Amino acid sequence: MTEPAATSVAEELRAIVGDRFVLERDAVLLAYQSDGLPGYHKRPSLAVFPGSRDETIEVVRLLATTGTSFVPRGAGTGLSGGALADDVVLLGLHRLKAVLDVDIARMRATVEPGVVNAALNKRLARHGVFYAPDPSSEAACTIGGNVAENAGGPHCLKYGVTLNHILAATVLLPDGEVMEIGDRDGGMAGYDLLGAFIGSEGCFGVALDITVRLTRRPAAVRTALADFAHVADATRATSAIIASGVVPAALEFMDNGTIRVVEESIFAAGYPIDAAAILLIEVDGSEESSDAEMEVVRSLCMESGARTVRVATNEAERMRLWQGRKKAFGAMGRLAPNLVVQDAVIPRTQLTDILAQIHAIGDSHGLTVCNVFHAGDGNLHPNISYDAGDPDQVERVHDAMSAIMQACITAGGSITGEHGVGLDKLPYMTKLFDEPTLAAMCDLRNAFDPDHRSNPGKVVPVHSCREWLAAPAARAPARRATDAR
Amino acid sequence: MTTSTGTPSLHADSPLAREQAGLDACVHCGFCLQACPTYLALEDESDSPRGRIVLMRALLDGSLPASDPDLRQHIDQCLGCRACETACPSGVPYGHLLEATRATMRGGHAPTFASRILLAVFAHRPLMRFAMAMARLLAATPIPTLLLKLPGRLGFGMAMLASTDFPLERAKYVAHGSGENGSAALLLGCVMEGLFTETNRATERVLRRNDYSMIAAPSQGCCGALHAHAGELGAARRLAKRNIAAFEKSGAQYIVTNSAGCGAMMKEYGHLFSGDAEWSQRASDVASRVRDVSELLAAAGPRSGGVIPFAVAYDAPCHLQHAQRITEAPLTVLRAIPGIELVPLDESDQCCGSAGIYNLLEPETSDAVLERKLDRIEASGAALVATGNPGCLMQIGGGLLRADMRARAVHPVDLLDASYAAD
Repeated sequence: MTEPAATSVAEELRAIVGDRFVLERDAVLLAYQSDGLPGYHKRPSLAVFPGSRDETIEVVRLLATTGTSFVPRGAGTGLSGGALADDVVLLGLHRLKAVLDVDIARMRATVEPGVVNAALNKRLARHGVFYAPDPSSEAACTIGGNVAENAGGPHCLKYGVTLNHILAATVLLPDGEVMEIGDRDGGMAGYDLLGAFIGSEGCFGVALDITVRLTRRPAAVRTALADFAHVADATRATSAIIASGVVPAALEFMDNGTIRVVEESIFAAGYPIDAAAILLIEVDGSEESSDAEMEVVRSLCMESGARTVRVATNEAERMRLWQGRKKAFGAMGRLAPNLVVQDAVIPRTQLTDILAQIHAIGDSHGLTVCNVFHAGDGNLHPNISYDAGDPDQVERVHDAMSAIMQACITAGGSITGEHGVGLDKLPYMTKLFDEPTLAAMCDLRNAFDPDHRSNPGKVVPVHSCREWLAAPAARAPARRATDAR
Repeated sequence: MTTSTGTPSLHADSPLAREQAGLDACVHCGFCLQACPTYLALEDESDSPRGRIVLMRALLDGSLPASDPDLRQHIDQCLGCRACETACPSGVPYGHLLEATRATMRGGHAPTFASRILLAVFAHRPLMRFAMAMARLLAATPIPTLLLKLPGRLGFGMAMLASTDFPLERAKYVAHGSGENGSAALLLGCVMEGLFTETNRATERVLRRNDYSMIAAPSQGCCGALHAHAGELGAARRLAKRNIAAFEKSGAQYIVTNSAGCGAMMKEYGHLFSGDAEWSQRASDVASRVRDVSELLAAAGPRSGGVIPFAVAYDAPCHLQHAQRITEAPLTVLRAIPGIELVPLDESDQCCGSAGIYNLLEPETSDAVLERKLDRIEASGAALVATGNPGCLMQIGGGLLRADMRARAVHPVDLLDASYAAD
């Protein structure tokens, strides 16, 4: 089974990173067949985990020399199948976890791509500053992965997404060239290469280091739990708050199904389990402005029909409210063995209508949809728990998710707010963009990765990139460097 | 979409098959990764909770044979610290899954010849007493201190023995109390009674001082925890039955342990006998009476004593923090001691690498995990590290001695006892 050329790639990789960090056998690759969306399983041809910047450069140069395709991976918590390597090399960057520099005077920090989001913030806490984007997987996901996906999170409503918090990066292009993009001092001249790189989902190469913007902790934070008997009241309150001019730090929605799984978990937050929906609303700033804004939020919620609005009275209570929200996705395993989550953005004014449509789609497919999402910016996350052992159910889940995405597109929305396109949302790209637009995206990719070896087959459908059809060699020579046993 | 769940199992009657619901609860979110000491040390997801769960599923559906060396390696490398359980939103009962996997892989036998011998000794009371008496004799000589720097497990074993020497003075006092807080029978434990005999006596004194009456449960023995962790579920049940009978007979209101690992095991006797018509109820009843000593002390106050002037860091035993979910009680005990300055210990909720007999079976990984712990202790500036489990006491204590660090490991109960003696 083993091709001589492939074997030599694996051997050369071992010489660079050591035996323990080149994986080839079936059993040890099982863990890397899925990311955070485990409905998909793709077997890498092999996995390689460099332990330093220099090793990473050597590895990528070797892959370039041998014309081998690869998929970069951080912590594997992505939710679009973006880090799946289908018979190509999986390049794990999780071992590059050094915080290289923290410069409080210039409000920036430089980190390696494998640094975990929450670990960085733990390190920054004593300086009274933080790195703002806070995806719900912050306890596990890496900054490199956040950059690849242009990750969001609850607090991006006020603070902006990853793109707004990256100053510069040292990028290793798929051909092995090292390039500095952006400006650590925040300046900007010429084309915005950094903007193009952030959110490129691993298709434009990998970051060797990333300089992030630090934000000073606000003097005061107020977090409220608003409890609604009707979903429509919660969405109406959302629109009322945004229309009032208050910009909450976060404005999160959870429906009854979500509330129940969270309350059964170790992260139970004291959410009312008889509520049809709750909103978690945070405002921050000075003591005075926070109190004033929270008062506006409270009265708008009550006017919209909230049963109660409870403001956390201490930090422990506030953290508990947040932990429930952040761990909600992981808690869905209580409902059924398998889980699929979507990530669509709609105009906020259509929330009420879309939620009703999602509910109806679930009903007509005999499925329960749990909604937990960033209401403030209209970023939906419908979750469907199901049993993949039942082929009929799998079919219905697939149909329901397509129907939900179509409804969001029809409402003038988009197919991803923060999870990326990856593999999962590839089929929707042609519904959202016309051929010239997709071709333009390919042209941009060609500037970074003309051979399409970095994360092949993701983001833009293959048929839009005509070069791909002409260049089947983009598939890795190392693709059968496996089955050693 | 494809999945490994729902497919027919090759091990339909296996211990792992009975835990299928626990496997199904994992949705692969990855929130457990950073909680896992072996993932942090080894940097491979096959050594993480969700990676091991993928391997368990493969074992169950037959896509990996039980003899697969990679499967064995990664399952054996798990510490069983269960830190993933307090990180898991879906409530995956990882500890049960691990024990069931090990039982399924090897048909109820421990992984190596050495571990089987060791566990057989633990299960045999006269042998255990003899082994512990020998160890005590050795510990009383200068030999362990002289040899503790030897490389490998011999040197580490010596360091562990040397670390059982209590670093403070043990003054005598007679403990008086009203007994009005209820009656308690102490699980003496194999290692606690063997090598930490004085800590057991101190436990009885501090409980009396806090108005518990102490009752003996003479026919008790090993709790079976080490056997269960290694997948020897049959041996664990035999040992558990003996203890269930012994503590029923004692009639004590509480069964108290000062060893977090034993306490976690006894609290799960109900699960160990689930589906067993004869023993299930009896096991659950006994389990519901089990308390860690820190729980009883915190519930009673505890009473204040004399001054113990030390900077103390608390390191949570995994089987207290993650398995029993007890976080505050030991701190309540330490805060009640005048003079103690509680210093924060970063990653105090992470495993020290002891993990029962893991430090003897998987020395390299154990050392890697311990090194991180010692670094954090050094940074804390503590003179004493308090932790309520014999394995952790010797792992951290031995590690400190080998690293020439000045801090020493002590059981929180010993500090409270010293405080009462100084009153």
